[in-house]
Amino acid sequence: MRALVRMSAGLIVWAIAFCLLYALHGLGCARGWATIRFGETSAHQTALIAGWLLCIGMGIGIAVWQWPARSGTLVDRTGFRLALIGVAATAITGLPIFTLPACF
Amino acid sequence: MKALKLHQELTAIWRNAPGWRGTLCSVNHSDIGKRFIVGAFAFFAIGGVLAMLIRAQLATPASAFVGPEVYNQLFTMHGSIMMFLFAIPMFEGLALYLLPKMLGARDMAYPRLSALGWWCYLFGGSILIVAMLAGVAPDAGWFLYPPLSGKQWTPGINSDVWLLGITFVEISAMCAAIEIAVSILRLRAPGMRIDRMPLFAWYLLATAAMMLFGFPPLILGSILLEIERAFGWPFYTPALGGSPLLWQHLFWLFGHPEVYIIFLPAAGAVSTILPVMARTRILAYGALVAAVMALAFLSFGLWVHHMFTTGIPHMALGFFSAASTLVAIPTAVQVFAWIGTLWSGRPQMKLPMLYLIGFFVVFVLGGLTGVMLAVVPFDQQAHDTAFVTAHLHYVLVGGFVFPMLAAAYYWLPHFTGRERVMQLGETAFWLIFVGFNLTFFMMHLTGLLGMPRRIDTYSDAMGWTWLNLLSSVGSFVMAFGFALFTIDVGLQIWLGRHHRRNPWHAGTLEWAMAIPAPAYNFASLPQVAGRDPLYDQPDLGVALARGEGWLGATRHGWRETLAVDMVTGEPDHIVILPGNSWLPIATAGVLAGFFLAMLAGLYWIAPLFLVGVGAIGWRWAWTNGAREDYGTLPAGQGVALPPSTEALGTTGWWGSVFALAASATLFASLLFGYAFLWTVAPDWPPPQLIARTVLEPSLALLGAVLAIVAVRRVGPDGRTALAVAAGGQIALILALVLLVVLRLPSPASHAYAATGAVVAAYAIFHATLAATMLAFARARIASGHIGGARLGELRIVRLWSDHAAGAGVVATLLLALPGWIA
Ligand SMILES: [Cu+2]
Repeated sequence: MRALVRMSAGLIVWAIAFCLLYALHGLGCARGWATIRFGETSAHQTALIAGWLLCIGMGIGIAVWQWPARSGTLVDRTGFRLALIGVAATAITGLPIFTLPACF
Repeated sequence: MKALKLHQELTAIWRNAPGWRGTLCSVNHSDIGKRFIVGAFAFFAIGGVLAMLIRAQLATPASAFVGPEVYNQLFTMHGSIMMFLFAIPMFEGLALYLLPKMLGARDMAYPRLSALGWWCYLFGGSILIVAMLAGVAPDAGWFLYPPLSGKQWTPGINSDVWLLGITFVEISAMCAAIEIAVSILRLRAPGMRIDRMPLFAWYLLATAAMMLFGFPPLILGSILLEIERAFGWPFYTPALGGSPLLWQHLFWLFGHPEVYIIFLPAAGAVSTILPVMARTRILAYGALVAAVMALAFLSFGLWVHHMFTTGIPHMALGFFSAASTLVAIPTAVQVFAWIGTLWSGRPQMKLPMLYLIGFFVVFVLGGLTGVMLAVVPFDQQAHDTAFVTAHLHYVLVGGFVFPMLAAAYYWLPHFTGRERVMQLGETAFWLIFVGFNLTFFMMHLTGLLGMPRRIDTYSDAMGWTWLNLLSSVGSFVMAFGFALFTIDVGLQIWLGRHHRRNPWHAGTLEWAMAIPAPAYNFASLPQVAGRDPLYDQPDLGVALARGEGWLGATRHGWRETLAVDMVTGEPDHIVILPGNSWLPIATAGVLAGFFLAMLAGLYWIAPLFLVGVGAIGWRWAWTNGAREDYGTLPAGQGVALPPSTEALGTTGWWGSVFALAASATLFASLLFGYAFLWTVAPDWPPPQLIARTVLEPSLALLGAVLAIVAVRRVGPDGRTALAVAAGGQIALILALVLLVVLRLPSPASHAYAATGAVVAAYAIFHATLAATMLAFARARIASGHIGGARLGELRIVRLWSDHAAGAGVVATLLLALPGWIA
């Protein structure tokens, strides 16, 4: 089981990222974080960007951790591939933070 | 001679008792799998007739064929049947039948659970069909949105039929998910490392995992809606702090993964059949495994694309739109791997291949319209039009029905042991293919011209008339195709000539046995050294029949198969499987009593049935296990292994882990609902919060700590520790009951109190279960079932007890904290 969890680690990070961004988004809109200024932008967007970067960092961490395994057994290789897929998916699903209005 | 003797001995152990009794008590995976397949096909036929009635109504404008009341029932039942009573049970049946044979095992991990699933499916599905015949079928659409499905707008029992009947059927889905996962991970032939598994097993492993996390939100949503309808607790009523959007979230949190739960097993069949048809091996096994895993995860990030027009803020829609377009990539990886396999092989245009080509064309078109609909502005235009209906039929018929037809022709010789009689299958293909495209391609166009889904009639002035007529003609052509397919299959079963082994020259293990398969599958289990054992060893089947593999002898009348290490495939222990039993059908029968009592509004009688289920469950658990240690037993190949009663990490333990994962998902969905209502629904924070209190939280915490500490001190002679742990669980129950009864406002007054009561109910249920299991363990120590090396049951009880304690603490905190913070 440990091998399977290790293999899916990159995708698990994506799942965490997705939940985190969605939760931060909903919470921020409910609490009016969008109206709190924070430098160039709002506290809401800052929190979202921070969460996004954190998860991308975690994903990269997983990929680095799996790096030695990239030429191992199929399960190891798949783990490395899925770590890269997880980072890419996290990056892409978070892009709306920069382009779309947050709360309407 | 040796082969014949072994065959007779094994048959005596594995066969069913003669007559009706044998039929009702059978737990054999081949029997249960075939029943699921036949049952699912029967429901498919019923759903198909409903579809033809729908098309008859829409063939002409201002049709007077049926009125809106009947029409609403028609499309609701069509969708519900096809999703819940056809697609899921069909692949469950195929998986139950095929998996042990492909993995080199003699049965699934929990034969009695398979049988329970079958009876729940049959009884639950029958409730829906009887309701339809009685004219009270569900009529609020297959996704049953409140408020339309709520008490105010559906005062009759129509919605209750859906909620209770489908939830009853979902029991079989949960049984199947746990069983499929554990069987794939543990019950394989020795040497079948995880990276040597047939791709079909990878696909079903992903599917089973998705079911474990996908179905609980639906089950929770259904329970909440049924409670709202029965007792007026306002989860979905905005005036009292609820929100209909909560239903949409819970439903689609299940509903989108559901699409992939249906597609992945079919894609697994494609990946199995295609290389055989192309006379080569599958290309890019590793990339396919990665694609399947990616799909299993990413498809959980799509559910809101069904809610693009509900007024959710744009940025949130953006997250889901991005994820929705992303899933096209792993899907495309699979399609390219399949094309590459065809390219590198020497494809033969046999009948299964023809249906696979149908799958390619239709599914790729459906995938493309899916990418279109993943784009928010396009979806907002096409939402709730016939375009969406067309898209979903291209995906589901293309992604499931065509592969299943290919699978039917590919594996029918295995089921029947016979050859095809006439060339009806080719004609059936062309009728289905042309009819399908005629029906649904037109619906893209009517949709783009603005025709909404689910309307029962339209005026000629809309300009949809001839397109609708063509759709209806196409649907009847398709129906003729399915009729022809049914006749063809019937002819093969009754008139076909007997077939030799392995007719397609395939490499997977299900063909290493006589066809039709004997009840025990393999007279001895193979040792596997590659992904296509039959290519490496074409006469493997004969050697296995002679008993030259593992477990090639019988003892004690036991039904034996091997459990292996999940990753390496090294043999670990001998699993002793339970035999035929009346327990599954009895459990399903008593459950049917519960659901029918709920349906009839007999809310005080219904819980009695649950007590009955508990009693049968006790008896069920009691029949397993042994009262003596056997030590290690010869397993063949000069290796000795312990029986499952003396092993650690048994299938029972893993099954509990997965069952608890599903239960925890249900709890997490409930917590999501609570947080969602708190942040999004109007009328929050609620007018009255729970009163501040120290007593109950302290009692709950004390109980949880006692339970967690004491259960760790339980050994084969630790009856006191068991009693203390049970006492801890009872303290937890007491604390939660006091919180709800004394402190919480009335659950009917506000969604806050209603949700809080359900959170408490979840924890109380698990604590009760844990206390019962602790009592069970005490009785098992007294009876000698637990003792010596037989400690597996204690590990399982500890797992459930810990989960109950943890859930109890979370529930108590959730209930008590708002009073303190506010
Ligand atoms: Cu979807």
